[in-house]
Amino acid sequence: MKEKKQILTAEEQLKQKEFQEEAVVHINALYNYALHLTMNPGDAQDLVQETYLKAYKFFNSFERGTNCKAWLFKILKNNYINKFRKNAREPGKVDYDLIKDFYHTIKDVQRDTTETDSDFFHSLLHEEVYQALQSLPEEFREVIQLCDIEGFTYEEIANMVESPIGTVRSRLYRGRKLLRAKLEDYAKNHGYNTESGE
Amino acid sequence: MNCNKAKVLMSAALDGELTAQEEFELTRHLDDCPECRAYFQEAKKTKVIIKERIVRVKAPQNLVESIVRMTKITST
Repeated sequence: MKEKKQILTAEEQLKQKEFQEEAVVHINALYNYALHLTMNPGDAQDLVQETYLKAYKFFNSFERGTNCKAWLFKILKNNYINKFRKNAREPGKVDYDLIKDFYHTIKDVQRDTTETDSDFFHSLLHEEVYQALQSLPEEFREVIQLCDIEGFTYEEIANMVESPIGTVRSRLYRGRKLLRAKLEDYAKNHGYNTESGE
Repeated sequence: MNCNKAKVLMSAALDGELTAQEEFELTRHLDDCPECRAYFQEAKKTKVIIKERIVRVKAPQNLVESIVRMTKITST
């Protein structure tokens, strides 16, 4: 049987190589972000697939030397808004059963993290921290994810969420304050006195 | 600087996003305010707990493979 071979130009081969080295390396981060947005592994996979398709198509417009991960996240977020936003839950309305079910779905998948303990937060279950984060208003949750989990700078986040840097700073401050209050509530449920530290 | 403003700066300080002037002002406030010093320590823990406790998963292997395959198809 004759096999059909694709002859690639040198330029195309270089593009593939660069794309794999610069873009595909971020697939885990993108997948996690897509999971947080969609709360559904199947939808998250579709979203990541579409993101990489678009990214590869427009890879020549990506400015080498800038943050490729930030560029990919922006594409993913735009895809999410275009495809899923109209079906997403209403702002401020949290479906805790959905979060709980979803959390149990993903926590059995191969983990990509290391764990350490930290004082009274030690009493908190991973699920509770996750629920606390997911229960925040979306504009707060998003910047906390992008900053604390993905490590983007304020400038990169501002570009992704299309808001001024001052707004990013304010949302992080307010979001973290809210989050801490929620985590303290959870810790109290475990019988932890958050004032005395016992 | 009052404590409310200091708390806002602390949040940005966690991320290394203060200007030199803001850093100077915050440091000066923290030197004089034990309550804010304690608050800053607690704020650091909140950032750490997110990184430690939020589950992160690996992308499914079939997804990785399909994307690698996709890049091997000529785009022209």
